[in-house]
Amino acid sequence: MTPPGDAYLDRIATAVADGEQFAGLYATSDRQMVRTVWIAADGTPRPESIAVVDGSVPSIVGLVPAAGWDEREAHDSYRIEFDGHQPLRPLIDHDAPLERWTVPIRGQGTYQVAVGPIHAGVIESGHFRFHVVGDRILHVDAQLFYKHRGLEKAAEGSSLPDGMAFVSRACAGCSVANALAYAHACEQVSGQRPTDELRRVRTILAELERVWNHLNDIAAVCAGVGLAAGNTTFAALTERARRLNATLTEHRFLFGAVHFGHSPLEWTSDTVQATATELAALCSAATRGWRELAFNTSFQDRLLDIGVLDPADASRLGVVGPAARAAGLADDVRTHADRLCYGGFLPVSPDRATGDVRSRFEQRGLELWQSFTILDQLLDRPVLPSRATGETDPQPIAVGIVESPRGRTTCAVEAVDGRVSRLHLRTGSYANWPAVTAAAAGNLLPDFPLINKSFELCYACVDR
Amino acid sequence: MITLLRDLRHLRHRLNLSRPHPGGSLAIRHCDAGSCNGCEHELTLTASPYYDLQRYGLNIVASPRHADVLLVTGAVTSRMHEALRTAYHAMPEPRRVAAVGECALGQDLLGTPAEIIGAVDTVIPVDLRIPGCPPTPEVIAEALFGLLAWRA
Repeated sequence: MTPPGDAYLDRIATAVADGEQFAGLYATSDRQMVRTVWIAADGTPRPESIAVVDGSVPSIVGLVPAAGWDEREAHDSYRIEFDGHQPLRPLIDHDAPLERWTVPIRGQGTYQVAVGPIHAGVIESGHFRFHVVGDRILHVDAQLFYKHRGLEKAAEGSSLPDGMAFVSRACAGCSVANALAYAHACEQVSGQRPTDELRRVRTILAELERVWNHLNDIAAVCAGVGLAAGNTTFAALTERARRLNATLTEHRFLFGAVHFGHSPLEWTSDTVQATATELAALCSAATRGWRELAFNTSFQDRLLDIGVLDPADASRLGVVGPAARAAGLADDVRTHADRLCYGGFLPVSPDRATGDVRSRFEQRGLELWQSFTILDQLLDRPVLPSRATGETDPQPIAVGIVESPRGRTTCAVEAVDGRVSRLHLRTGSYANWPAVTAAAAGNLLPDFPLINKSFELCYACVDR
Repeated sequence: MITLLRDLRHLRHRLNLSRPHPGGSLAIRHCDAGSCNGCEHELTLTASPYYDLQRYGLNIVASPRHADVLLVTGAVTSRMHEALRTAYHAMPEPRRVAAVGECALGQDLLGTPAEIIGAVDTVIPVDLRIPGCPPTPEVIAEALFGLLAWRA
């Protein structure tokens, strides 16, 4: 008989060979099981489990390098050993000495630059350890989780509706996407499916979130280059988009707009019409600003061939979202989002998708126009309060998947008697942080802020 | 570039910000002690053309060594506790601390007791409280104007 560990690795190898995508790994709260989440080519998620024996399970990083951070997190938070993951560096454990969590670099003229956790601007807290020779980055070690609030742990034991707060308030930039992933998971747990109207209003909210985020991210790249005119133009548009959010949902970041099982939002035809008009005005102003940036050669030259993430690395590291599409991996959760309203959706990517800062910048622009188009189509009639209806069999474990502005976000919910027994949120930012450090290697240290801003990842939803 | 800037000319005049204390300036150091990034996003927009706080002498600075005000967002996590105290003690006197947002004020905190220490005033003395989840750029601006009067 094959040992259970080998059979597990065989199943993982088969999943990889079948083209299933890795979407997370977590330990159950009783430390008895480790689960991985897989997404089939048709977008269906599937959990895979292995029992923890003597505090240990086989590591899958050899087959799935994208699971590196997940295994390190499960090790630090749940004291689970991953057989074959060597060296298993601390990720969340901040008490470990420097030598344990950084990659050793030796050689003539190499030195380290320590940055953070507090940064020289209005930036979230996190620590970077740059290994540098001259001005060139050899390697970056990121130490995040300074803002770890224990949200997953704190959510355990709450009812499914109450659990929403822990997910939706994890991160302001991805609040809607995270909340939707949680709502999708909870609705599968309780055997519900959203009605067409509920799918429509949720899609509108997801795209409104993408619009303000992409406007903000375009402004951020301009700031990274030092182009004040571009930065202020897109910052002003971000402000307008947030005001629109507040008009529609009484919150500039759409907090509290997504609920488990229903939507109380009600927008009259006048409101919907005014929203469509404001979005059209935003689109036209953004197009004007974009054109100015496109023809500004000194700006465009600054983005070229900086922070290159090649397709092989992107695929190996499991990169998601705009960063993956800008590296030529045309993958988007919206293609198969049967719990949202994206009929006929096709992912876009620039003609020149080489994975550099310019590709990621252009990717944001293309996705922005796409979101304006989707919103225009969905805002064709008033929005009414809506509910999810009981249709399917309840499941003890369910996974919700949503394309956030930064990429695929998965939320796994395990429930016992209608209460959360384990909640795991893996956002697009979590998937992409290892790619930032990979893209930075070989570049100049002063280019790191620009490379970082071209990904514009959150710390808050990674740290949780 | 001129096209880009032309559209922005009238934005700040559309806002009903009160007239702050004339003259003076504030050097502000921001420290994220454990926020959801909402306060940071709003704080970033106080520099947008709608509010443009730099025209009143309100500047975000890159070091606590030349800051008048430490502006703290988020409930303090156990991992940010030490960094926050270090930043505070690196500031020259006289100094002021502004706690921005409901979390920094200790309202409706989410997380485990092991990871969350609590409101900013449990770690360092707080002089200015700016409520909101998150406070809008306008609310942040009006509150900081109050500190301009202190500094002048």
